Amino acid sequence: MSRATQNALVRDDRTAYETVTGTAVGLSGAAFAVGLTALLDVVAIDYSVAGLELSVAFGAVLLALGVSVVGFGMASRLGYVDAAPQPSAGIVAAVAFTGIWFAVGAVVSGAAGLGTGGRLGVGTVLGGIAFATTALPREDVGSTAPAGALAGLCGLSLVSGVVGPGWEQVLVGYNATLFGDTVVPVLVLFASLVTGWSAAKAYGGFGARGRNVGAYVLIYLVVCSILAVLVGLVAFVTVKGLPGLFNGFGVGGAGLVRWPFLTNGAGLLADIAGVFPALVGTVWLVIGAVLFAVPTGVGAAVFLSEYAEQGRFTGAVEVATNGLWSTPSIVFGLFGAAFLIPRFGNQKSLIAGMLTLGFMLLPLVLITSREAILAVPDEYRDASAALGVSKWQTIRSVVLPAAIPGITTGVILGVGRIAGETAPILLTMGGGVLPGKSAAPDVLGSFQLSASPPFVSNPALLEATSALPYQLYALITAGLSGNIQNPQEYAWGLALTLLLVVLAFYAVGIATRYYFRKKLHQ
Amino acid sequence: MSQTDAEAVTTTANRTDGEAVSTTAGETVEETRPEWTSYEAGGETKLAVENLDVHYGDDHALTDVSMDIPEQSVTALIGPSGCGKSTFLRCLNRMNDRIRAANVDGTVELDGEDVYQDGVDLVELRKRVGMVFQSPNPFPKSIRENVSYGPRKHGDIDTGLLARLTGRAEPGREEALVERSLERAALWEEVRDRLDDNALGLSGGQQQRLCIARCLAVDPEVILMDEPASALDPIATSKIEDLIEDLAQDYTVVVVTHSMQQAARVSDQTAVFLTGGELVEYDDTEKIFENPESQRVEDYISGKFG
Amino acid sequence: MSLTTPRTDWRAGIERRLTRTREFVDDTDPEALAVVLASMGSLVAAFFGFLLASAWTAVPLGAFLIATGYGWVRHQALVARAVSFAMTTVTLVTLGLIVVFIFVESIPAFRYETTSVFGVSVPGLGMFAQTRWDAVSEPVRYSLLPMIHGTVMVTAIATLVAAPIGVAAALFIAEIASLRVRELVKPGIEVLAGIPSIVYGFIGFTVINPWASGAFALNGGSTYLFVGMVVGLMALPTVVSVAEDALTSVPDVMKNGSLALGATDWQSMISITLPAAFSGVSAAVLLGVGRAIGETMAATVMLAGIPRISDPLVNVFYGYETLTSLIARGYGSANGVHESALFVAGVVLFVTVLCLSIASQYIEARMRRRLGGAE
Ligand SMILES: Nc1ncnc2c1ncn2[C@@H]1O[C@H](COP(=O)(O)OP(=O)(O)OP(=O)(O)O)[C@@H](O)[C@H]1O
Ligand SMILES: [Mg+2]
Repeated sequence: MSRATQNALVRDDRTAYETVTGTAVGLSGAAFAVGLTALLDVVAIDYSVAGLELSVAFGAVLLALGVSVVGFGMASRLGYVDAAPQPSAGIVAAVAFTGIWFAVGAVVSGAAGLGTGGRLGVGTVLGGIAFATTALPREDVGSTAPAGALAGLCGLSLVSGVVGPGWEQVLVGYNATLFGDTVVPVLVLFASLVTGWSAAKAYGGFGARGRNVGAYVLIYLVVCSILAVLVGLVAFVTVKGLPGLFNGFGVGGAGLVRWPFLTNGAGLLADIAGVFPALVGTVWLVIGAVLFAVPTGVGAAVFLSEYAEQGRFTGAVEVATNGLWSTPSIVFGLFGAAFLIPRFGNQKSLIAGMLTLGFMLLPLVLITSREAILAVPDEYRDASAALGVSKWQTIRSVVLPAAIPGITTGVILGVGRIAGETAPILLTMGGGVLPGKSAAPDVLGSFQLSASPPFVSNPALLEATSALPYQLYALITAGLSGNIQNPQEYAWGLALTLLLVVLAFYAVGIATRYYFRKKLHQ
Repeated sequence: MSQTDAEAVTTTANRTDGEAVSTTAGETVEETRPEWTSYEAGGETKLAVENLDVHYGDDHALTDVSMDIPEQSVTALIGPSGCGKSTFLRCLNRMNDRIRAANVDGTVELDGEDVYQDGVDLVELRKRVGMVFQSPNPFPKSIRENVSYGPRKHGDIDTGLLARLTGRAEPGREEALVERSLERAALWEEVRDRLDDNALGLSGGQQQRLCIARCLAVDPEVILMDEPASALDPIATSKIEDLIEDLAQDYTVVVVTHSMQQAARVSDQTAVFLTGGELVEYDDTEKIFENPESQRVEDYISGKFG
Repeated sequence: MSLTTPRTDWRAGIERRLTRTREFVDDTDPEALAVVLASMGSLVAAFFGFLLASAWTAVPLGAFLIATGYGWVRHQALVARAVSFAMTTVTLVTLGLIVVFIFVESIPAFRYETTSVFGVSVPGLGMFAQTRWDAVSEPVRYSLLPMIHGTVMVTAIATLVAAPIGVAAALFIAEIASLRVRELVKPGIEVLAGIPSIVYGFIGFTVINPWASGAFALNGGSTYLFVGMVVGLMALPTVVSVAEDALTSVPDVMKNGSLALGATDWQSMISITLPAAFSGVSAAVLLGVGRAIGETMAATVMLAGIPRISDPLVNVFYGYETLTSLIARGYGSANGVHESALFVAGVVLFVTVLCLSIASQYIEARMRRRLGGAE
């Protein structure tokens, strides 16, 4: 017995349709990418491609995309291809297109000189039409016609030169002007996004599968953009910072590396200005914060997960920890300024910065350590307890060793985060804009004992000290100028050094995680 | 579109009522073959499995399994834990695709179409081959939404705002479908007054029957059940067993079970898997339990092994 | 957690605790007890000494170190427990100290900005009832409204960027990406969280601001639009990682159930996974908003630093000042009431973000309870 509704597992041959729609998706992607480069001023929109201005070429591509998207819908609607559209494109698409076309109507009629009433009127009419075209017809028409029309409209305005190089529109009241140079790429980005989505739906044959493909295309685009931004940022800072960082770099002398940027101060005596004091300041800052926060955080995590009974106290600690985690760094700075500075000689000091960052690091360490300890299976504890081993012995010889990988990773990543913090040390640690080499703190060599209270003192800890992020901020507020050769280059080199320090922590943290995970699986 | 759907649903309903008396396949087997591999159950073959091999990474979970599953009958899969029954079941609707380590070789034909060939629409396949999982897994939604989930996702039912605005929504159809499916799963009487309650508030047995109803609402051709009664008390179990027998009148049912009694009670033919993912014997249920060919199967059934 | 604990009877609780303490004291080696008491006592003394800025703080601190060191050798188990308890209280104490200190410092500004309504004088109302902030020329007024407006603008734009992109990326990592791709994307997003905000600010200051100034023919290049986008990028990793945790905590069987019914991956994500993880995802967005509100350096470096409300209100092409940048820019050169007014800005920030944090914890606790019932 076979039933009336039985469908074949493999759809009819749709290779041709898929090829065409797939090409349209690819073309939209290419338009998006080129549009992005135009927005970033890598290419100008009046650059000529094959005899055409870039903006006109953009227009032609958008027009073609718009027409083909409408065609895809029609081909399915008229039954030329085997698709599975649903009765309607759905409320989400309908609302989105209504909004878009409302905006189009308002903007275009505004540009044509209509008043507010006229704009609203035109916008409402266009929005209504868009709603009807999206919501009422079958999905294959509903999700292609408004999209294709939009791309077509953008394409037409670019091809005809209504919007193009030299176009400008003053935003009255906003004290700003829109130019073709930015508007054209933005139009291209937006329209290609819409056609890409629509063509992807057609590629999937509309229906559930089409929506799947359409959504995936957008999500992939988002993820690729994030990664592109990340790579772009790092690459940009690297390229700008390398000249400064390697200024005067050389392998010389007795086989030693000469790296003046990292080993010099910025004083008058230095031939090549360097960031040595700030680098040393950052190192001490991190050491101080770690010395305070890591034992405290790990100890608290042990107590919370091994000793404490779940109840009011642990609940309060958890709320407090999460609260501290999300407290803005500048508030930590204020706290450090109000609480620590009066207690350490009434001036900004290295130790105040250390403790402030320590307070910030504490919740990070506590949360990750607690997770790591909770992830240790209960069987370990039970097995140990069954052997008659005391609780503390169990924690020390079973739980903590098993949790060390997680704790280490968490601490390293947390340190990476605080090493780049500026706001808290801005208020608590200070330091000069361009400190000379002698300003580098010599913490180990400065301990002093005395016969009167406080018995132990360390002037190096009590002095205002510079750190990498703070020095960068100070340079920026000083207008990127100063008593050195090339302040711009110096600042970029400083930014790169800071970025590398922080990324090194992240790289080590992530590598540690992989290392321990590999070991676990062996 | 909506019209064809309406027809489809009515056809199903007619068939359910009209053909309820058709004979079950297993009873019409004429002879028992000495070689189990060439065993042919009566009726038309619904699923033909050929040389199926499954690896999870380096582990061999199924070894060269071939069997034909006849239409409108209950096929039981038994065997010791870890012998690959669930794996086999998951191959039939390609849920193994979800497991990254899984690697499937061989063919599974549904009505003569290979489900592992290129270009197979998984949505279509899973619409036709439904599955009920080992432990009940209702969605954290109302009972009604659980049942109508499948048809909604396939666009057969649409009660969304737009559909209501344009008059396409037919609330009556959803009601009818929900009622019919729940009735079929023997759950209607228990939940008719609380269709809008969260399904997670049901008991384990009720949840399992809800999952069966949810599967029936899609109107599949084959229903795969992985130990549907494993977590249930005897009363709920017997309800499910009655249900399985009843379903075999319209559907092709493949059921994994750990209970020999259950296999003997509900199934028409039984396949015995033993450790290593080997299909050791496949035959009429009576034959398997009374006079198996293989010594290993006899040992397993009498509890000496496995 | 605390939000879910049922009210227990106080009296019985205290009594139980007393008995338990008595038993504990009876059972423990007296010397160990003495050592632990000495160690904890000197720690408390050191804390108060520090609080009172006493020069003698080093003495109890030294005593604590000696007592603890001695106890570690002789009675490790007990000392470990006591010390770890003391460490646990540090988080509570820190939060308490933050509250006390920034509130105390903000009192003068609250006093100064007292305004009377209907004959009742309300301290601090003047900071929210008019819009003038001028610390130098008369009349000296400290309204926070311009900065609150700036913070709202920046946060709104940042949320528009971070929320949809963050949730989409979380869906990708949790549901779509293959193992290998995930191993690439996840660390990538972590690294994004690691780029110091001053580096973002530096790029904004040297690249984005000049570009924006030319591209829109602005007076100066500070815009809420681009500060908002940069801050959104910084809040993004928070949204992604918290939302991804929530999405992966949805039991796989639920999603399999949906797929087995013939739903597509996208349908299963939208109808099953996202609703089941809805609370976690909203908590993620809330935490992202919190990050955006508290983001300081990029805003400080990129904004103009003029306490003014943009005109019209939604003019994103000009950026003046946010609460965070006000503090970062003004602290140090300010004193007296002016400095105190900066602490008020800190209080506003702290309270807002703490509320967001508590709200997101509450939402997450509810989600855990609900999913717990589903398994
Ligand atoms: N996701 C998976 N990844 C790796 N190996 C798996 C996976 N699922 C199952 N296996 C392995 O495949 C073999 C067969 O497993 P399967 O779940 O099919 O057994 P089963 O017969 O259903 O057992 P049970 O009766 O206990 O449910 C087992 O050895 C198991 O370890
Ligand atoms: Mg199984």
